[in-house]
Amino acid sequence: MISPELLLQNSVDGIFLGLFYSLVAMGLALIFGVMDIINFAHGDLLMIAAYFVWLTSVDLSVDPTVTALLLIPLFFIIGIGIFFGMIQPVLGKEPLIQIAVTVGLGLILQNIALAMFKAQPKAVPYSIFNFSYSLGPLTIYASKLFIAVISIVTMYALNVFLNKTYIGLAMRSTTDNREVAQLMGINTRMLYAVTFGLGVALIALSSSLWMTFGQVQPYLGTSFSLISWVIVAMGGLGGITGVVYSGLIVGVAESLGSLFLTPSARMAVVYIIFFLVLWFRPRGLFGRR
Amino acid sequence: MVAFGTGSKKIALELLVIAILLAVIPLVLMGNAYYELLAATVVLFSSMVVAWNIIGGYAGQLDLGAFAYVGVGGIITSELWIKAGIPPLLGIFAGGAASLLIAVIIGIPTFRFGIKEVWYALLTAALVVIFNNLSRVLMGPTDYYLPPKTGIIYLKFNSYEIMYAIASVILILTVLANLAIERSKIGYYLKSIREDELAAEMIGIDTRRYKLYALMIYSFFLGVMGYIYIVLAASFSYRMFDSSSSLSIAIMGIIGGLGSIEGGIVSAMVLRSLGEYFRSSFGSTVPGLDLLLYGIVLVIVGIFQPEGIAGIINRINKAMKKKR
Repeated sequence: MISPELLLQNSVDGIFLGLFYSLVAMGLALIFGVMDIINFAHGDLLMIAAYFVWLTSVDLSVDPTVTALLLIPLFFIIGIGIFFGMIQPVLGKEPLIQIAVTVGLGLILQNIALAMFKAQPKAVPYSIFNFSYSLGPLTIYASKLFIAVISIVTMYALNVFLNKTYIGLAMRSTTDNREVAQLMGINTRMLYAVTFGLGVALIALSSSLWMTFGQVQPYLGTSFSLISWVIVAMGGLGGITGVVYSGLIVGVAESLGSLFLTPSARMAVVYIIFFLVLWFRPRGLFGRR
Repeated sequence: MVAFGTGSKKIALELLVIAILLAVIPLVLMGNAYYELLAATVVLFSSMVVAWNIIGGYAGQLDLGAFAYVGVGGIITSELWIKAGIPPLLGIFAGGAASLLIAVIIGIPTFRFGIKEVWYALLTAALVVIFNNLSRVLMGPTDYYLPPKTGIIYLKFNSYEIMYAIASVILILTVLANLAIERSKIGYYLKSIREDELAAEMIGIDTRRYKLYALMIYSFFLGVMGYIYIVLAASFSYRMFDSSSSLSIAIMGIIGGLGSIEGGIVSAMVLRSLGEYFRSSFGSTVPGLDLLLYGIVLVIVGIFQPEGIAGIINRINKAMKKKR
């Protein structure tokens, strides 16, 4: 029998995890909303960023959280580079080709990582958040709490950005109606580039957070991709709140799934949610269209 | 899209060329068992790519889950033989049917009109990962072996030459299925769906139903091939549900050119042989080099030559006609 303490512990862990997942999926949701493209290399970009975090924090002996300051601008530029090099040339082509190019990018990143770092998982040796509180029957890990807090702060900032700045408003209007936004004088090409850069920069932030307690190996991207797709399918077009609710659902479901079933069935739970959403609510739980 | 034209004489000629090429290969290999196994694997992979052409090329749906169907079909056929004594010659149909059933369950929600192509691609990519996880729980990490019996009712022989012949027959059957679809109502409907789904729906084509037909044929063929794959690999385990192999089937199909049978065969044979070469020479020092190659070629083809190898064949054909 599962004790109520364990249930509470797993739910709280699930909520922290869910907030982090919504941050991970945010970049994907942003790109999907504005450009109507699903980036299959999303998780693999996170994996590559996590290797950057590992390399910089080991070489410069800094905390993984500090590496975010370096990685966010770097990955913003990398994102813009990927957009002009790979996405822009296929924008007008068949959907299958558009998807395939990002599949190819993911495969390239995964196997470069495999060739360079081998399959052995890598972790950062230390982090200032490696401690935990006891709160009655609950154990709260500082790193997970920290990640959840940063995720909330980032998403709040993103919300302000999307509602108060010109670029943010342009992104929202393009999500609503591409043609009309173009007619209103929005330079969609530059907007796409910035959106892609921003989406990839958010991945860099997520990877710094992940490395405070997680490990990185070349196939890390697969599970993060799957989780992000599910979240975007559920709440992708419902704005930031849609993504956060979906992230929480996935986080809690995964956490409780590993409690009630076996831990290796975690991904199966996520997949079944994905499938059910596509079956019953193909436009998402929080979608507008 | 068919490079050699559509007359039935030309199709017969095309089949003859493929058959002669398939027949010549073993003569060149001259009894080297390793090369014969390799050739059989390459031909089996080509058949998978040609089958993929039905869903990817004609219907325009990016299926990234080939080895989910290969695995289900192969493992069910093998288990039916091991546990229930049903010979694989019959069992492959059950295996194919099982793959078909799973494909239909995936296809029904994602092929609805107005659902973006990407969700089908995502669901199939995820399907392989999930089957990998689930079968690891159900089957454990062990390798399972087929009984040592051989013979035609088991579709299993000790000689790789005969296995090569079986793979060749499967390739020719898959090509025939492709040709039959291409020249039928279904084929025209599928192509119109690929070109413009909205227009297809407007003129009264039940787009979901025809996409499902394509998916059913594709998954059944892959389920049947699964057992031959197990015979060639000599064992099976949860590792059959392999994401990168599934991706490489789709990649070879795209590089060959959507809707092109001969392009698919050429790209599968070239890429699979190159990949095998990379794996045998660098596999221990630089793992994943074959997949890196596939990824790079896919991106280059996607950006610069979306018609793939078929586009190149077409261009050569046109140039030859001009000269005449």
